[in-house]
Amino acid sequence: MSYRHIFVRIFSLLLIALSALQFSVAQAGEPQQVIRLATTTSTDNSGLLQALLPHFEKSSGYKVHVIAVGTGKALRMGRDGDVDVVLVHARKAEDKFVKEGFGERRFSVMYNDFVLVGPADDPAGVRGSRDVGDAFRKIARHKAPFISRGDDSGTHKKELSLWKKAGVKPEGQWYREAGQGMGKVLQIAGELGAYTLTDRGTWLAYQEKLPLRIAFEGDPLLFNPYGIIAVNPKLHPHVNHDGAMALIRWMIGKEGQTRIAAFTLHGQQLFKPDAKADEVALLKP
Amino acid sequence: MSALLEATEKALELLISGDEALWQIIAISFKVSGSAILIATPPALLIAFALAYLRFPGRRVLVSLFSTLLSVPAVVVGLTLYLLLSNRGPLGDWRLLFTQSAMVVGQIALAFPILVAMGHAALQSADKRAWETARTLGASPLRAFFVVIRETRFGLLAALLAAYGRIIAEVGASMMLGGNILNYTRNIPTAIALETSKGEFAQGIALGAILLLLAFTLNGLLHYVQGKGVQMS
Amino acid sequence: MKPEYHLQVSQLCKSHGRRLILNEVEFSLPKGSCTLLTGENGAGKTTLLRILASLEKPDRGRLRLAEQSWQPWRKARRMLQQRVMYLHQHPYMFDGTVEYNLRFALGSRVPQRDAEPLIEKALRLIGMESFRKTSARTLSGGERQRVALARAWLRSPQVMLLDEPTANLDYESRQRTLELLQRLRNDGMTLVIASHDPLHFEGLTEQRLHLQAGRVEAVELNMNPATQPANVILMRRDYA
Ligand SMILES: Nc1ncnc2c1ncn2[C@@H]1O[C@H](COP(=O)(O)OP(=O)(O)OP(=O)(O)O)[C@@H](O)[C@H]1O
Ligand SMILES: [Mg+2]
Repeated sequence: MSYRHIFVRIFSLLLIALSALQFSVAQAGEPQQVIRLATTTSTDNSGLLQALLPHFEKSSGYKVHVIAVGTGKALRMGRDGDVDVVLVHARKAEDKFVKEGFGERRFSVMYNDFVLVGPADDPAGVRGSRDVGDAFRKIARHKAPFISRGDDSGTHKKELSLWKKAGVKPEGQWYREAGQGMGKVLQIAGELGAYTLTDRGTWLAYQEKLPLRIAFEGDPLLFNPYGIIAVNPKLHPHVNHDGAMALIRWMIGKEGQTRIAAFTLHGQQLFKPDAKADEVALLKP
Repeated sequence: MSALLEATEKALELLISGDEALWQIIAISFKVSGSAILIATPPALLIAFALAYLRFPGRRVLVSLFSTLLSVPAVVVGLTLYLLLSNRGPLGDWRLLFTQSAMVVGQIALAFPILVAMGHAALQSADKRAWETARTLGASPLRAFFVVIRETRFGLLAALLAAYGRIIAEVGASMMLGGNILNYTRNIPTAIALETSKGEFAQGIALGAILLLLAFTLNGLLHYVQGKGVQMS
Repeated sequence: MKPEYHLQVSQLCKSHGRRLILNEVEFSLPKGSCTLLTGENGAGKTTLLRILASLEKPDRGRLRLAEQSWQPWRKARRMLQQRVMYLHQHPYMFDGTVEYNLRFALGSRVPQRDAEPLIEKALRLIGMESFRKTSARTLSGGERQRVALARAWLRSPQVMLLDEPTANLDYESRQRTLELLQRLRNDGMTLVIASHDPLHFEGLTEQRLHLQAGRVEAVELNMNPATQPANVILMRRDYA
């Protein structure tokens, strides 16, 4: 009897204790004042959120937990109700997200742009191209090394759409998919002397450490609008919808927009505030 | 080479100057991994004890199950738990994902097989007369259990240190379950992953140095403790 | 007059795998008696003692404790455990000092103030006062045996089972052990000693159980004038 007894007794005690603990953790795990924001790595890495959110937290009393992942994953988290609000830049995917009912409504927040960067000596002669399609075609023609994010991120999707517009199927030795974040990909491109498409924010943060230069910029096709979407509370009743809406209201409101415009990296403005007046009006109480 | 030197220099500077963000990350690491070990150890010890001292059907299967679990990659553990804890998973209602608790759960899952397998090995090789002598001297089963634990403490401590070593340096599960949230679920390994991906090698190196130091200490302790264990028997 | 029994055993069976080690064993232990258990190597002496001490489970068996009625073994086990203690042939020393080992037998409920004189007395009993703070793991085999006896004395069970307590002991230690056993007897403890050396225990024991082929084969009476009352009828089934 002895071993068995003691085992059963202690174990049941432990189970009880654990489940009690579990319960208390579950209770305390997600206080209402926490807003969980899924966003893209590039947004977070630029430092913008760290510059903005403390002001929002101070004035609203909410605490924002930023989870930075790829766009695909961020939207997936929103779809599953694992976060309260998403801030991403992949227009098509965002619209689909809203249309399928996972998000309530997309609000324009800001935009930045993508730039094509490459080795300083520009082996494909991309500099001075007519438009971005022209630039991409030149790279393909020269079979100049190109590093793709290859991670289903917004940047990756953008890049793929640009190849399509350029009428080139990117394949072969020269085209490599890294499956990594933007910073990593820039480092790889730097090491390999390759071209890559990057958002300007990450580029500014990295350019000093890299042997790369901007090869092409300015085509409207390269503009990169950011949208913010609250997860649909009808689908996921537990989400902190009030918090999400407070954050959205702040971001597209006067203070958020002013601070976005004031944010600089290496002395350069990174994001252009892009809130639409009619959308702001929607949120007025 | 100069880049490495430069980064190392900055790393030392960060460590010495007591950079608050850095120490916050270190504190989170210790808090999470410490809680995980504290919670995992008692039940793991009980199971190890049961495997070593009880004869019941399926015992062998359980033993090999736990040694198999030892070699499951952390990312797989992380992914499995992610799917369980996600709002759409069966345990979604617990609302644990992207909290420190989720990281603790993940690290418990990682530490548990180590604790059970190594604890079982220690208890198995322990002298059965310890339990018998305690019992026949009038000790209650509970007291006898603690006697056995006490007599095998070095082996068990080795299991504890090995488990702690694994979870404090583990990145996959923590990243997935915690979400690498600043000042909340960003621990040493996930911070290293992030900082290197951002090209901030200095902070990566500073944190890496802490891990290295820790690993060194743990290993030293482990050797010391295992030496003790050998001396005893 | 019917003798008073401390415990009576019947229909006790135990097998290891296919091998039947104990086959319908039955015997009685009179109160305050000393029983010698003999048998060849592998006859099942250790097995029998361990079953009596609840360290192993029998396949089946019936048990009658002192004033109670016959019970199936399972039911009586708890009572048995409280009364019976088993001394390993090679005693186990807990990691700690001799004092720690002795203190253990007193349990945590005895306050230190009361434990102190008892421990001192136990050390005196085995003539090892100077070993109090010695690590028990460093003791020699004979010394361990003595510490184990002192430890058992502190626990003071009603029935004490000793597995070859004099094997590997030199003459001096053996005498000391025998003296100690005599002492325990005089205190009213019931003893069972498994041994290959019946001669060592002459004068101490008054019954002898011989295990052979799974059965308690022979019982010899050894009238010891020093101990009262003399006990008879040891093999008879005694369902009253
Ligand atoms: N756990 C076990 N599994 C299988 N067989 C066992 C086990 N324990 C004991 N036996 C067998 O039971 C038989 C009786 O063993 P036991 O130790 O009781 O003999 P013993 O009379 O004490 O012998 P010795 O005089 O050598 O001490 C032996 O043949 C032994 O091999
Ligand atoms: Mg034996």
